[in-house]
Amino acid sequence: MMQYEIGIVETRNVIKTLLDDYGYDFRDYALTSFKRRLEQIISNNGLKDADGLIGKLKGNPTFFDQFLNEVNIDTTEMFRDPSFWRTLRDDILPEIIRNSTTKPRIWIASFDSGEELYSLTIILKEMGALDKVQIYSNVFTNATIQKITSGQLDPKDIEINEANYVRLNGKSQYSSYYKVEGNKYFFDSTLVKDVNFIKQTPIIDKDPGAVKLVLFRNQALYYNQLLQERVLQKIAESLVAGGFLALGIKETLENTNANNKFTVFNETERIYKRKNV
Amino acid sequence: MYKAVIIGGSAGSFQVITRILHSLPASFPLPVLLCLHRLKHVRSGFVEALSLKSGIPIIEPDDKEQIKPGKAYLAPANYHMFIELGNKIALSTEDPVNHSRPSIDLSFLTAAQVYRDKLIGVILSGANRDGAYGLKKIKDLGGLAIVQDPNECQVRTMTEASLKMTPVDHVYNTSEIIRFLQTIKT
Repeated sequence: MMQYEIGIVETRNVIKTLLDDYGYDFRDYALTSFKRRLEQIISNNGLKDADGLIGKLKGNPTFFDQFLNEVNIDTTEMFRDPSFWRTLRDDILPEIIRNSTTKPRIWIASFDSGEELYSLTIILKEMGALDKVQIYSNVFTNATIQKITSGQLDPKDIEINEANYVRLNGKSQYSSYYKVEGNKYFFDSTLVKDVNFIKQTPIIDKDPGAVKLVLFRNQALYYNQLLQERVLQKIAESLVAGGFLALGIKETLENTNANNKFTVFNETERIYKRKNV
Repeated sequence: MYKAVIIGGSAGSFQVITRILHSLPASFPLPVLLCLHRLKHVRSGFVEALSLKSGIPIIEPDDKEQIKPGKAYLAPANYHMFIELGNKIALSTEDPVNHSRPSIDLSFLTAAQVYRDKLIGVILSGANRDGAYGLKKIKDLGGLAIVQDPNECQVRTMTEASLKMTPVDHVYNTSEIIRFLQTIKT
């Protein structure tokens, strides 16, 4: 591993351009991972340095969109943490579906590259419940919507995904959900045809409201504490009493202000339940 | 004068790391950051196995956890472990580096940027080259670079790659690494 490195001042200069020129606020992203992301974008695009990146961003909405796609960290795995998905399928989805008179709303509040969404819809389909819920999913760009709705995902390691599916005790074969054409994978896009995509800026300023389940796994890893607090507040407001919040298995509400609005539903899988406060 | 020790290891490092942790006194004055290649789907058991004989508590940290002296922090399975300004752990799910997640290079690189010349980096036995670049960054930023003697390693690829890339401060066998760590005072 050898890579180009930029400093903190240069990182802040790029962040300032993104805010001033496009109104996208990355100031409260975690510094180390964001800096690293910029370094990779500079290398991947053959740019000279941070000033080169700033120059290319200015007055170039097309490149800005491409930048947003590259700065976002892909989910990289289908059914990441299979025991989490098992818990979701066996304990949570049946409950929220049973207790709803209208279609319960599920919100993928992370900036998913499609893997969380397809994992969720595959599970719902196997439960025979795909048409019994309404799914919302956050995205940065139209290109991501296009990618996800065409089914053309890039889940990196097919063996890992297969193994995850086996650990999940799925009803079918993992391979029944995609076709391979050349070296590309096309997932069954009918799974996501009724999904509502919400175009967001980094601070997540929109929410579907009256949500019964929020998946927000491994997104706040890339936030500082301030932004983590703000977005958790937003999510807490969006959830109905008794609704569920799933974080990544190495994330916690402890030490956050949102903690008093939730009880722990499953400690190992880091699933929380919204209190009636 | 040092603020942290960071240790990277892969194949053949488990015994070594166990001996090192066993030798540390409960009053060890620094945090110990551990980045070891491990099975990604085995979430639990590893901390428990390492803890059995450890002289200091071993934590598999959550994201944004505060780093404290006298504790060991083990990079969780299937996450990269960064060290963030403000002495905090920052986890990441970005792509594997050197086919590894956690990647030793990334833990070492980010720790070097935070602790600079107040960091001790140790590379142990391992079967790939992950860690060599990270150790170089520690040395470049004024930290102390230690490599386990390849002649003692079960698998010598990782230590040899490190030695090739960096003029390290010490090549030590396990007993010497232990003796060195035991002399550390703040």
